[in-house]
Formats: sequence, C-alpha cells, structure tokens
Amino acid sequence: MTGAEKKSTPMAGQLRDRIALVTGAGRGIGQGIATVLAFRGATVVLADIDEASAVAAAEEIAGAGGTAMAVRGDVTDQQSMNEAAAETVSRFGRIDVCVANAGVIGAPGFEERQDYVEEDWDATYAVNVKGLVHTADAVVPHMKERKSGRIVNIASHGGRAPRLGVRSLGGGIAPYSVSKAAAIQWTWTLALRLGEYKITVNVVCPGTLWTPMWEKIALVQKAADPALKDLSPREIFLQSVRERTPLGREQTPEHIGRAVAFFASDDARVITGQALNVNGGAVMN
Amino acid sequence: MDRQLEGKITLVTGAGRGIGRGIAAVLARRGARVVVSDLDEGAVKAVAAEIANEGGDATAIQGDVRSRASMERLASETLAAYGRIDICVPNAGVIGADGFEDRSDFTEADWDITYEVNVKGMMNTAEAVIPHMKERRQGKIVNIASQGGRKPQGRHIALGRQIVPYLVSKAAVIQWTHLMAQDLGEYNVNVNCVCPGTVWTPMWERIAANRLSSDPALLGMSPRQVFDISFEHRHPLSIEQTPEDIGYAVAFLASEDASEITGQALNVNGGAVLN
Repeated sequence: MTGAEKKSTPMAGQLRDRIALVTGAGRGIGQGIATVLAFRGATVVLADIDEASAVAAAEEIAGAGGTAMAVRGDVTDQQSMNEAAAETVSRFGRIDVCVANAGVIGAPGFEERQDYVEEDWDATYAVNVKGLVHTADAVVPHMKERKSGRIVNIASHGGRAPRLGVRSLGGGIAPYSVSKAAAIQWTWTLALRLGEYKITVNVVCPGTLWTPMWEKIALVQKAADPALKDLSPREIFLQSVRERTPLGREQTPEHIGRAVAFFASDDARVITGQALNVNGGAVMN
Repeated sequence: MDRQLEGKITLVTGAGRGIGRGIAAVLARRGARVVVSDLDEGAVKAVAAEIANEGGDATAIQGDVRSRASMERLASETLAAYGRIDICVPNAGVIGADGFEDRSDFTEADWDITYEVNVKGMMNTAEAVIPHMKERRQGKIVNIASQGGRKPQGRHIALGRQIVPYLVSKAAVIQWTHLMAQDLGEYNVNVNCVCPGTVWTPMWERIAANRLSSDPALLGMSPRQVFDISFEHRHPLSIEQTPEDIGYAVAFLASEDASEITGQALNVNGGAVLN
C-alpha cells in the first residue's frame, strides 16, 4: 500500500481557497502533507531549511496541477520564520493554515549510536520544540488580527508514551521522544491561549514510516541479530511494524497529510487542543 | 459537499434524536446509505424521512441496544437489504435512569442503566456486526463516548453527582474502543471513538430546566442561558458544538482518509478537555 494521494480524490474541494504554510516541506512527511493539502485545493507555501528541496517539491506539486511556492525557512531562527510568514502574506494576502512540521531525530550520526549524546538533546529541543514556537509566533499575530486560523503541529506517537519492545531504537531515541511530548504540551498550551481568537491548534502524531533513518536502523539491527541475517532492511522494518501495530501496516506521509487536512478543514471547526495518533493503533489515546 | 462516504452502508444507533440524528444527517449528505435505529420507532422514522427529504438515502429500523437479539436482527435486516455493512456507529446512550434530571445524587438505577445502555449496548451493537466485518476483512466502527469519559473537569454548574455513573460508563466506552481496536486490527477493521463536548440537545434542556428550579443563583435565566454560561467557562474556543460537528468527526474516522487511524479517541469539544 503506497497511500499515494490522487488529484481526483472526492475530497478535492476540502481546502479550496485556503492559504497554507508548511515547514520542513522539502521531503518526507512535510512533503506528503504539502501535496495532500495542495491536491485538496489549498495554495501551499513550502518552507524548508534546504531551499532547493522545497523548490523541487513545489515544482512537483505544480507539475501535478496544484498551486505551490517555495521559501527558505529555518525554524531554529525566529527571524527566518517571520520572513517566511511575511513572504506568504505579501504574496497571497493571508495565512489560513500553518503546519509546523519540521523536525529532527537527533544530532548528525544518531542512527549509529546506541545511546544519546548531549548534542541530541540540544538539536531536538532547538528544532522540535523551539522550532514549533518560532513557527507559531511568526503566524499568530496575523491570525489573531483576523480572528481566524488553523495551526497543526506534527509530533509523534513516541511523544505519548514509551513502549517496550522498540528494541531497534535503543536509548538514543529518548531526546526525540521527550521533545515530541513537549510538542504535544505546547499544542495544548497554545490552544488554551488562542481559543478566544477562534484559532484552533491541534497536533498529529505519526506512527512508523519508511525513511532513510529506518533503513539505517534496520542495518544496525541486522548486524546485531543473527536471526535477521537473511532479511533486507525493508523486510526487517515491515516485520517490526507487523509485530507492534494492530493494523499491521506502515504509515506514509500522505496518511499524515490526510489527518492534517481534516484538522485544517471546516469539518474540524470546533476541535482544538487535541492530539491524534495516525499510527495503526501502535499507541492508543 | 464532499462525498467522502459515497455508497457506504452505515448503521447508526440512537439516531432518533440529538447527536445520533446529527451524525446520520451528515453521513447521508456525505454519500452514505444510512440505516438509522432507535428504541423510539416513531422518532427514527421521522429522521429517515428528514434525510430522504434532503435527497439522502435512509431506512429506519427499530432496535434496542440492550438486547443482543435486537442488534443481531438490525444487522441481519441491513445485510438482507444491502448485502454488507461498511460502517457502524454505536451512538445510543443515556445519562441516567428516569428522573435523573430531578436528582442531585445518583441512585443504583443510574449505575445499572448507564452500564446496560452505554457499555453493554456498545458491545451488543459491535458484536452484531463484527463477524460480518471480520469475514470481509474490512469495516469501520466509530463509538460515541464523551469528553466526560476522559478526566473530571471540576464541579458542573448544572449537574450534580447524578452524572457520575454516566462519566464512568463513558470512560469504559473509550477502553472498549482500545481493546476492540487491538483485536480487530488484523482483520483490517478500524475502531475509533468520538468524545463530544457539551451539545445543546433536548436532554440538556431538561437538565438545565431542573437546575433552574433548584438553584436560586440562576433565578430569571432561561434553560438555554444556563447551558451557555456552563460551557463558556470551560471552553477555550467558545464555539458551541452541534450534533453535525460530531457527525463531521465521525465521517472523517469512517472515511478512507483515516485508514491508518485505529484505537484512538478524538474529543470534539472546543478544547474543554485536552488530549
């Protein structure tokens, strides 16, 4: 199951005329979210610290008939996010939806480590926590003034509760999981503060997606466990998903995008301060 | 309107009024063919007629969620008419035994009826459709609980301790949702739960009217004003939830957009309880 989003979805009009800003949109989950929002009628501004990746992703969306623009955006820098927001407003007149997605798992090299280093704590805090704050603070004055807006943060089901049996991830994942719990708490705090301005703030918690990180983790696991010697990294990944997920399936960036689209749509007008796991039931809340 | 549930055969219990009626109306507008069920046959026939008047597709079948046999008859009549059940929305619920609006404390009868309807009723409804969904390796179950099943929210302006059995029963619904999701995942059946906030329904009108007559501080207010102040104070967004709002969340969880979501409870409550 690829979960690929089709332009012809019955939900094609779900976000008609919305202007959406998505951070970390150059690849992975952010790219999937941007694609789903665009295919459902939103005009999407893709921000990424790697501007070239955002440009390529925006071109891909435009090539498929969507409306998209790329900007450089470094979520660790308030000034950079203010500029991304200002550019969006000057080009399209407003920001209806802000998806604070950019995130990291750890400092460079984390896949090879069995335990965390101090740099993992600093990188996850800077991007996954303060990055969400900078992104929100860049759009909130505008949304408050309009008394309207949707903020959708991206955390992780790892931010809900630790799980036994996630043996592939060692102690090195702790800073990431802690930062994602902070992202959920930040969502709640912001929802309480912004309710009176009719701004909703929710958070989607993705489960397990096949990414370059998972490929490296699977290789490390394979080297450590003789029972896995005949399996490919992809097979090791899928086996682990089957063992830990009631639905037995991996998630794709588009699956995450569909939940974001719901929170950004009229259908969710009275939903705020909620975290929704999109994870095949691996963690239940 | 987005036809996200085109052609889906859908059962909704407790559809004769209130939240269930709103859910059925929304699902029908989104393209579902809805079988609406309620203990009160007259009410559910009227709801089916309303949906048909709007151009939707609805059939009314009387049913009592307290009876497994009644729920099995509901499922088998639906299968006989449509050949399958894609979506099941166990919604029927009660707050307490007759006269709970007039009391300020619970009675044993409140504990019995909330368990019978809100917990075993959900179980009877699900058990009636699960064998069919397992066989097809496909299905969506969306239970209706309440934000009151998550965490206590402090004392309520319009409700006394007679609400406690209800809140406990709704926590049980959430746990039942988790357990079913765990068991049915391997059959590709998604089980989730929507937790409504405070929705103005005939039930709320009775509660507020009772509170008015017993609390001098509320003198001169209408039942609707009692309802409004009770939710303004505990509600960050201050936008009232309607039965249709609950229906939109059900529609999402029942749609292909939520294919990877199972075992989750989603509050639709303006942020009154965060989760």
